[in-house]
Amino acid sequence: MARDEHSIFRENLSAYALGALEGDELRALEAHLQTCDSCRSELVQYRAISDGLLTALPPRPPSAALRKRLQSQLPSAQRKASQPRFRLSWSFGRLALGGALALLLLMNAFSFIQMRQIQNQQATLAQQVRTSQFALSMLAYPSTQAIPIAADNLTGSVLLDRERNTAALVMWHLPELSGDQTYQAWLIEPDGHRVSAGVFRPQADESYTTKPVYPKQDLSSFVGIGVTVEPAGGSEQPTGQRIFKVDF
Amino acid sequence: MTELNDTDLMSRVARGDEQAFLMLYDRHAARVHALTLRILNDPMLAEEATQDAFLKLWSRARLFLNERGSLLLWLLTIARRTALDRVRLEGRRPILSDSNDPDDLWQVIPDLDSMPEEARWRSLHFAVQSLDPDHRQVIELSYYQGLSQSEIAEVLGWPLGTVKTRMRSAMDHLRQKWNEE
Repeated sequence: MARDEHSIFRENLSAYALGALEGDELRALEAHLQTCDSCRSELVQYRAISDGLLTALPPRPPSAALRKRLQSQLPSAQRKASQPRFRLSWSFGRLALGGALALLLLMNAFSFIQMRQIQNQQATLAQQVRTSQFALSMLAYPSTQAIPIAADNLTGSVLLDRERNTAALVMWHLPELSGDQTYQAWLIEPDGHRVSAGVFRPQADESYTTKPVYPKQDLSSFVGIGVTVEPAGGSEQPTGQRIFKVDF
Repeated sequence: MTELNDTDLMSRVARGDEQAFLMLYDRHAARVHALTLRILNDPMLAEEATQDAFLKLWSRARLFLNERGSLLLWLLTIARRTALDRVRLEGRRPILSDSNDPDDLWQVIPDLDSMPEEARWRSLHFAVQSLDPDHRQVIELSYYQGLSQSEIAEVLGWPLGTVKTRMRSAMDHLRQKWNEE
């Protein structure tokens, strides 16, 4: 190795020990140190100086608070601080999560019930509208026969359309029933036997109730129609109070 | 446990002994803090860096090898890197030394002649203080501010060659003083 080049490396040793060398000079010196014992030996002396600079400062005690802060970050302090908080937050978190889930389920159930109620109401209203339209259409039909209903505190008509084999009961001021009761319509055969024509309840929020009747047999095979109060779900044959009876 | 040396205490720290750790803190915190304060020149930042350095000592205790140097040197090296990282993170301007405000605290602390190592550190401190201000500045900017030679040249507005010459001259002066001890 050329003497001049070695001298350049030697001149850079002090800067290297201080960490002030950079770039190509740094890489070249590090490569040189791999093979040069005298430079490594001299570097040890410069390193002693730079290491000495770490300690060559008058001691400056930090504040007492620093020791406490440091102590609080040690595992035992962390355990003491975090365990109860952890348990508390864990249980609180679970409680909150459980509560939120329960609330969500309740809200869903409530929404579901509300939706079902609304759907039922809509279905009922739609049915009422269809029924009313059905009755109106029957009234408008030339061959429809209207037979007045004569009963206590109740008025209305029985509409008969023999051509289309349909009938309708239009009743005003039909009394409300308890939840375990229902009205049931009966078609009356000539021998007095009753055939169920369906169950119904008074129309909500309306002073009249319409009940369409679609007989499976020819309407001409019946001699009359009547309504009784029956247990909810209906009966095979009339068992309860008769509301009215109309002869055809 | 008060009789234990640093190496023994570090063995205990490596096993998770918090009391041993606090003893090391009590023993070396002032020196670590002196270094971080010199580098950062901000009491709050210096305490944060000191704290970080000791937390690194705690977490890296198993890596400490006594054969490669004293614990204090290992700890101060960690503290220096931690503080210099903070300097870069904060984007702080280099702190130029003020020859009119030398560290004189060492002159009022008790005589440490009975502790040869301490005496040598103190003598090196005074050797640095006795440097010509220009020479002293390149030492301080490189070692306590982490600047390269070209960065020092830029900060001080000196030619790079001048920085190199003064740095080499200052280090040779310190080496001579160090060897005289």
